[in-house]
Amino acid sequence: MPLTGVPAKDYLNREDDLSYLRRLADMRQDSLAANVLLLGTRGVGKTELLKQVFREVFWEGREVVPFYYSFKTAALKSSTFARDYFTRFFKQYAAYVKKEPLLVDDAGMSLNRLMPVLSSAGLDWMLDIADAFQEHAVSGDLYGQILAAISAPAATAKRGGRRILVMLDDFTASEDLHEARRGDAPGLASLFEESMKNSLCPHIITGSPATRLEGIFSDPSLRKDTERMQLLPLPEDTSFSFFDSLLRKTHITCEMREALGLIRTVRGNPLYLKNMAKAAWKMKKKELREKDLAECYCLEVLEGETAFYWSSVLSEQIRTKGLLRTMLKLLMRRQTKEGPNDEARLSQVLGIRDAELGQAMEILDGNGLGGHADPVFEDFVRALYMREIEGRSAGEIRERIGERFGAQRDSSRFEMVIPMTDQAELVAARAVEQIGKNINLEPDLLNYIQLALVETCINAIEHSGSYEKKIYLTFLSTPERLEITIESPGRPFSLDALRESPVEEKLASGRKRGWGFTLIRKIMDDVRVERVHDRTRVTLIKNIRKKEART
Amino acid sequence: MTISPFQVTSRLVRDVAIVYPRGYLNNLSGEGLVNECGKHARAGMKKIVVNFRETDLINSIGISFLLNVMEDLQTCGGTLCFTEMKKVHLDTFEMLGLTKYFLFFPDEEATLQALRTQGG
Repeated sequence: MPLTGVPAKDYLNREDDLSYLRRLADMRQDSLAANVLLLGTRGVGKTELLKQVFREVFWEGREVVPFYYSFKTAALKSSTFARDYFTRFFKQYAAYVKKEPLLVDDAGMSLNRLMPVLSSAGLDWMLDIADAFQEHAVSGDLYGQILAAISAPAATAKRGGRRILVMLDDFTASEDLHEARRGDAPGLASLFEESMKNSLCPHIITGSPATRLEGIFSDPSLRKDTERMQLLPLPEDTSFSFFDSLLRKTHITCEMREALGLIRTVRGNPLYLKNMAKAAWKMKKKELREKDLAECYCLEVLEGETAFYWSSVLSEQIRTKGLLRTMLKLLMRRQTKEGPNDEARLSQVLGIRDAELGQAMEILDGNGLGGHADPVFEDFVRALYMREIEGRSAGEIRERIGERFGAQRDSSRFEMVIPMTDQAELVAARAVEQIGKNINLEPDLLNYIQLALVETCINAIEHSGSYEKKIYLTFLSTPERLEITIESPGRPFSLDALRESPVEEKLASGRKRGWGFTLIRKIMDDVRVERVHDRTRVTLIKNIRKKEART
Repeated sequence: MTISPFQVTSRLVRDVAIVYPRGYLNNLSGEGLVNECGKHARAGMKKIVVNFRETDLINSIGISFLLNVMEDLQTCGGTLCFTEMKKVHLDTFEMLGLTKYFLFFPDEEATLQALRTQGG
């Protein structure tokens, strides 16, 4: 599995990340680097990057042994996990020493059958480590067994003189490690602490969602000696080169101008690009035009590998049809951003019992699915909602998703960073003015939006208390909608600032302040405040009705 | 909306002080406006008109300063009027539920006429 990455020549725009991780073992030994927590959205290419690192380290012969382990496919019953982890490590170590890549993924190679292989490679001393592990297993010492497995790379590095680069993928699933049933042994993941401290075996750890992974690493024992690396989506030109390289393998051609709409819709996500290329092949396309790509997109979102991927993510958490329906209603409401936000009102509006709604919200937010800014996921949810809740036909759903694809294609995205200095908010106001003009917004409406933006920026400047002194803005516009996100590092947003007090109360106060959020809420159709990593994100949304756009 | 640097000027028309805030009315410039109005109030002027024709943008902090001017003037029995406000500014006061606390007029002439009728 770790040796099945895309060919190095097609692996684009990640050279710096790859080079850094490849040299991690050297740098860690010289105390120049820590363990790496690799963060990024789903599908951005975290697993692929690990595969590339594995392949390079495997072949370059610097006496660093790569070890890749994915918790996604692992059996999470702890005794089974321990044996699996231990066996895979031994196999990958032997594969490296013997330079026999087939050993890495040899599923039929049990621990017992591996012993002669190790011996033939001059690794007799590994048998001692294996014996120690087996002893724990025989005596039924579960913790001893897990610890022996987890510390096998460190013990081997110490004994064998070769450093080990440990790559743990889908680490968020390690939270589900258990003895007999899910949840009966929380905190087993913290047993990795000792192994991670060892400078002979640096760890690269990744998983999704990023918020959950960060949650695990908020534990001081794991956080220490861990640095964060953020993997970003591919830029447009690289996205096209990657997409084009995939298409060429199946003799399909596509011009960049035709693919641009798709690339923008999937926002440079390599997983989606790969799936779209496969869809084009399955649909027997030869020369892709925009309308073909729209077809591929609809197929993918409705019943392709992308739909399968998101279905799997949802089904990991949702066990019943009823909960799925609740989840879909909730996600759709969040997408359309209509109606009330508070749980009590939502329960009434959606006709869902409080307990079920609470459960659904917990799953959504705990798995980073709630405030999703991914148009593909949104379309997947929309398609599922139309099928499961509205009972629409496949043809009808395809038509509607196709329309949305067209609208997303027409979207523009701008990003800017302003300093937290006096009147910097006016620069943002000027930017939104031009963006509004580009989509023919009425001048009056633009003035209000500018005011809402100015208020949000002032709020960030006044309340963040950050040393960074920067505000990050993103403007996403389509003919139907303008969405602005304003992110500021520093203190979490105080909920008191969102409380709306009566006018008389404000007038009676000394400074007569606190009008900002009232104004923002009156102007915008939806205002959301959330904490994303170390930043407070305020999202302002204005739906544009036909009369508000000049024709 | 082109936003100019803030300036405040004023002129007297008999017993009325007309103040002209220009540019962006925010926390920094708000104090300038308060000072200008305070200067006239201390000189005994009880009728103050703020003409917004050259005001490009008023943020919520700017509004809180205007509320302070109103409060200061009310304590000495004075009157504060607003004139030539752009639609967006009027709407802002409306959205915040503040229109009933101020007197709004379309132009200076109508304001002065109303203040003359009020007498004092």
